[in-house]
Amino acid sequence: MSIASVIASAAEFRAAGTDLSERRRSGVSAGPLIDILSSGESGIAWGVDGAATIGALTTIAAIAADAHVAAAYPGMAASAQGLATPQVRHLATLGGNLAQRSRCWYFRNPHIDCLKKRGSECPARSGNHLYGVAFDLGDCVAPHPSTMAAALLAYDAHVVTNRRDGLTIVDLLGDGSNGRADHALAPGEMITKIVLPAPLAGERAAYKRAISRTYAEWPLVEVCARAAIADGKFQVVRLVAGGIAAVPLRLSACERALHGKAANEAAIAEATRLAAIGAKPLPMTAYKLDLLEGLVRDLLESLAA
Amino acid sequence: MSTMTVNGCPAALPDDPDALLIDVIRDRLNLTGTKLVCGSGVCGACTVLLDGQPVVSCLLPAQAAAGKTLTTIEAIGSAGLHPIQKAFMAHDALQCGFCTPGFVVEATAFHDRWRATRGSGIPSREDIAAALSGHLCRCGAYDGIFRAVAEACAGRFDGNAPIAPRLEARDKVTGLARYTVDIRHDGQLEGVILRSRVAHAKIVGLDLAAARAMAGVAAAVSLLADDGMVRFVGAPIAAVAAKDRRTALQALAAIKFACEKLPAVIGLDAARQENAPVVFDRANRKRAGNVSEGGGGPAPWNGNVRGPSAPFSQKAKRAKGWLTDARAAHDPLLVEETFRVSTQQHACLEPHAAVARFAGDQLTVHISTQAVHETMEKIAKRYNLAHDKVQVIADHVGGGFGSKGSLGVETIAAIELARAAKAPVRVVFDREEELSVTGYRPAAELKLSLLPSAQGDLKALSLTAHADTGAATNSLIAGLARLIYPAEAKELVDFDVLSNLPPGAPFRGPGGPPMAFALEQAVDEAALRLKIDPIQLRKRWDPDPNRQRLYDWAAGLDVWKNRRAPSSQSGRYRRGVGMASGYWLYLWQTGSSVELAIKGGRIIASCAVQDIGTGTRSVIANTIAKAFDLEPQDIEVRIGHSNLPRGPGSGGSRVTASVVPPTLLAIEKLKAEIERTAARPPQPGSNAPWRELVAASPDLVVSAKRQHDNKPPLGVRSPLRQAGFMGLVFSWILRTFNHVVVGAGVPSSVQVMEVEVDTWLGHVRVLNAYTGLAIGKLAAPSLARSQAAGAVIQGIGYALYEARETDPSTGHVLSSGMEDYRIPGIADMPRLDVHFDEAGFDHVPGGSVGVGEVATVPTSPAIANAIRAAIGVRLTEIPFRPDRLAAALKGRDAA
Repeated sequence: MSIASVIASAAEFRAAGTDLSERRRSGVSAGPLIDILSSGESGIAWGVDGAATIGALTTIAAIAADAHVAAAYPGMAASAQGLATPQVRHLATLGGNLAQRSRCWYFRNPHIDCLKKRGSECPARSGNHLYGVAFDLGDCVAPHPSTMAAALLAYDAHVVTNRRDGLTIVDLLGDGSNGRADHALAPGEMITKIVLPAPLAGERAAYKRAISRTYAEWPLVEVCARAAIADGKFQVVRLVAGGIAAVPLRLSACERALHGKAANEAAIAEATRLAAIGAKPLPMTAYKLDLLEGLVRDLLESLAA
Repeated sequence: MSTMTVNGCPAALPDDPDALLIDVIRDRLNLTGTKLVCGSGVCGACTVLLDGQPVVSCLLPAQAAAGKTLTTIEAIGSAGLHPIQKAFMAHDALQCGFCTPGFVVEATAFHDRWRATRGSGIPSREDIAAALSGHLCRCGAYDGIFRAVAEACAGRFDGNAPIAPRLEARDKVTGLARYTVDIRHDGQLEGVILRSRVAHAKIVGLDLAAARAMAGVAAAVSLLADDGMVRFVGAPIAAVAAKDRRTALQALAAIKFACEKLPAVIGLDAARQENAPVVFDRANRKRAGNVSEGGGGPAPWNGNVRGPSAPFSQKAKRAKGWLTDARAAHDPLLVEETFRVSTQQHACLEPHAAVARFAGDQLTVHISTQAVHETMEKIAKRYNLAHDKVQVIADHVGGGFGSKGSLGVETIAAIELARAAKAPVRVVFDREEELSVTGYRPAAELKLSLLPSAQGDLKALSLTAHADTGAATNSLIAGLARLIYPAEAKELVDFDVLSNLPPGAPFRGPGGPPMAFALEQAVDEAALRLKIDPIQLRKRWDPDPNRQRLYDWAAGLDVWKNRRAPSSQSGRYRRGVGMASGYWLYLWQTGSSVELAIKGGRIIASCAVQDIGTGTRSVIANTIAKAFDLEPQDIEVRIGHSNLPRGPGSGGSRVTASVVPPTLLAIEKLKAEIERTAARPPQPGSNAPWRELVAASPDLVVSAKRQHDNKPPLGVRSPLRQAGFMGLVFSWILRTFNHVVVGAGVPSSVQVMEVEVDTWLGHVRVLNAYTGLAIGKLAAPSLARSQAAGAVIQGIGYALYEARETDPSTGHVLSSGMEDYRIPGIADMPRLDVHFDEAGFDHVPGGSVGVGEVATVPTSPAIANAIRAAIGVRLTEIPFRPDRLAAALKGRDAA
């Protein structure tokens, strides 16, 4: 199928299909398909400056198992290790992870309309939004499902598509206000690779998700934290949270509060208190702010240790 | 057309871009060892090796396998069992076996990788749990899986195949075991069901003509009741059989009808409101489903509320008066609390499924059922057929847990479609159907008041339960509190609250876990207030001899003796130890019969019973083998077919106590026949005289029916005889209408749980579980342990993770996939210590009673009590998810 007809028919690109197959079976997605698994880019290339370029079809398992990635971008490696299940990670691709659709149980139900399919309002907002957002940025209350997007935002990564270069994660996913879309790619636009800047000297990173069981659950809240600590002080800090908003969120107030501060328990406690600034929890999601604070504190302590 | 290599052979791949690898494997290549369960990559049952890597075949487009090498369970062990398969067999790392092929495929890959890189080092529990984190087992065989994988990696299963304690284990670890979903007759059609998308409506003008006229469609039938009503989202309207599933689904869309929507009401709170729409008006009340295994007594109705039903109250007015006085006097010993339990889905991994085939006037139905014989009778009655014209078959059943005990719509649809299409029809529920309309343990609100006397005895107890039964009745929760902790007075009141949700169904100890969740927390609270050890308080209040022994065992555990004082911790991670007690009834089914035959020197046992993962085959084989100096594998056990001698249903933990006694009787008869017909006596001094006699015996057949128990010792009675006149009435009802006798003695369980609470992330982990069980002598010890372990992990699911979620206005079940309905994974399994106290049932021939239900009753309150000890807060609503922990730790009400 040509790109032009893809645009005309709202066809979907299919990489490994770990998201799409379920939607095809249930009938939530029914348009034409264009398979890209055998034609796209995969693998990790390293620049002389230490920057990585990752093909969009590189599997999550390959990223999770790569020793060079673990050394340069430990927050991304840990994120890849923490998502889905081993059998899904062997198939799922980085590009697919970024472009996947919402996991909202209303969206996934073929018999219910919602903003993302046919409907004119979000049924979860007035209904059961137990796993919904705690930062209410738009008309849809489902959190963005991409764990890798949060990690890549923390690493200031850029996305290259078949149409555009140099997209930030914010460019790719938008500001969360448009509940009808999960990303800002144009019809027929496809992610081809992801470029990460070279790591900073001495930086560390960590990732964790809060879930009810031990493994294999979509995060209630997840945080990727990155920091360079020099002379016992936080220099650069990046804190990105997922599971709490329609897009991964940088916790800018926390980041600012830590900048230049001694990497100790008092500074961390103070910054933790700022994690939920700007939050607008729904009736059922106030708990996510407690978990968010817990994760921020946990990760900052491990980075400062 | 592209191809792949499957188990060494080339295979064509379909051009259809929507064909998934699982469908090619199962439907085109007929490699049915690979199972389809969740369809969303969550459970791992469909795991295969693609170029050596474990992947989920349920999400993989078939075309993605082009040019690749695929290995399915059928190729693993085909040239000699893999060490992992042998270890799974030896450690009984399986029950129903439906998840087993997926686990085995993944574990062999892990094993091979491990040994290639680590030699014979033993992987830790953490290594194994991480590797198998993409697999789910609903029976909860995780304890055995940990042991099996560790020992296989350590090289302990490189030799000959071990003797498996489970008779059919080899078929289950190799993918050969055939379940109903695997049945494939020539010319078989696929049946699918049209379901209501609204919660309450009258369906009129149902027109199947357009669907029937479609190419590839063989039949369409109405499934509407005569009143044309649908009372929940998912209520069946019609069914279609077609050449394949896709065609059948397209035909559903062609069915025409008008839907006259009616006001609907969803859930426990809305349905109790004054002006709530009524689900069943007076004339239609008998159309409601049944959430219990037995029948219930009459009860008044008020709108959607059925009750009060209080047959087991005892001096209720006095209890009420004392409690009112204590409340007025602010008695510090008065414990009062409202508890809430969630809706628990059975979540069987094999969905409800039936395959019906007519050959002339002979109907054969493969059904994933817990009751082959009774289902045959129900089919015969419904369709006015002679019993010998109906054959129900269930060779292997992929889990039931109570949800597969009745004649379900999957069977009715399959039969009616097969009759109309004049061809075999298979109906297999998809995961959305399985997790929404196949029944559940109802949620409930439990109001409890417990008053100790000043002397520290139990004076009065009041428990009122409102159960969220959907379109069903007959919940019994509060009444079960009559049979434990005798008090001077008890007020025990049950209500069903009906709403436009799918009907509940019996689930493993119906009513038991919710009752225990409330009562065992209240007793724990009373112990705190009386400043007495909770085990010692139970020893004082609970005279049951079986539990008295278990209390002594529990009190002696180091984890109990060394536990920290409640609420003494303040760090991030806090540990606590809690305990609780539980009981279930000892039931057996009258008329249960076992036939023993000798054919060609081999013993064949036959009974129309079924094995839903519980180990029925092994229970029978072990009993016979012991009597004849044989190994269980020497016995051929024929079950799962309704034309065998009448056997019990797998409900009420009744199978062992129903089949072992007649097996023992039959053994005596067979021995007498062998001796009477023997050509010559065994060799003098033979160490296995019976084995020799059997081998040399002419062909013989004997059979025996379940005999009565022997007289129990003084003081051991049927618990219903302690429940006054209504207890006798219930005994009579059960015996007359359900063919079930409530025997003497009380199967009991006492559990001690150690938990760790992460107060930052609201996460609860059960570290160590100790389960003490008094269920008499063990007919199959390894399998009894497996049942006990599975009951604990299912109880952990109930306590920590599982809850059906619905949309409050439309009544759609939102948690209809396995990522949103969260059953425990292997990493959630604690270290487990199982203690069996084998006394107490010597009056039962063979001395064995069932284990499945009693073992799950105390788990949720034991965890609640442990959390209370850890964080100083009593959580009153399960599941104890991070949202509830976070709220409780902040002193906030959870949403």
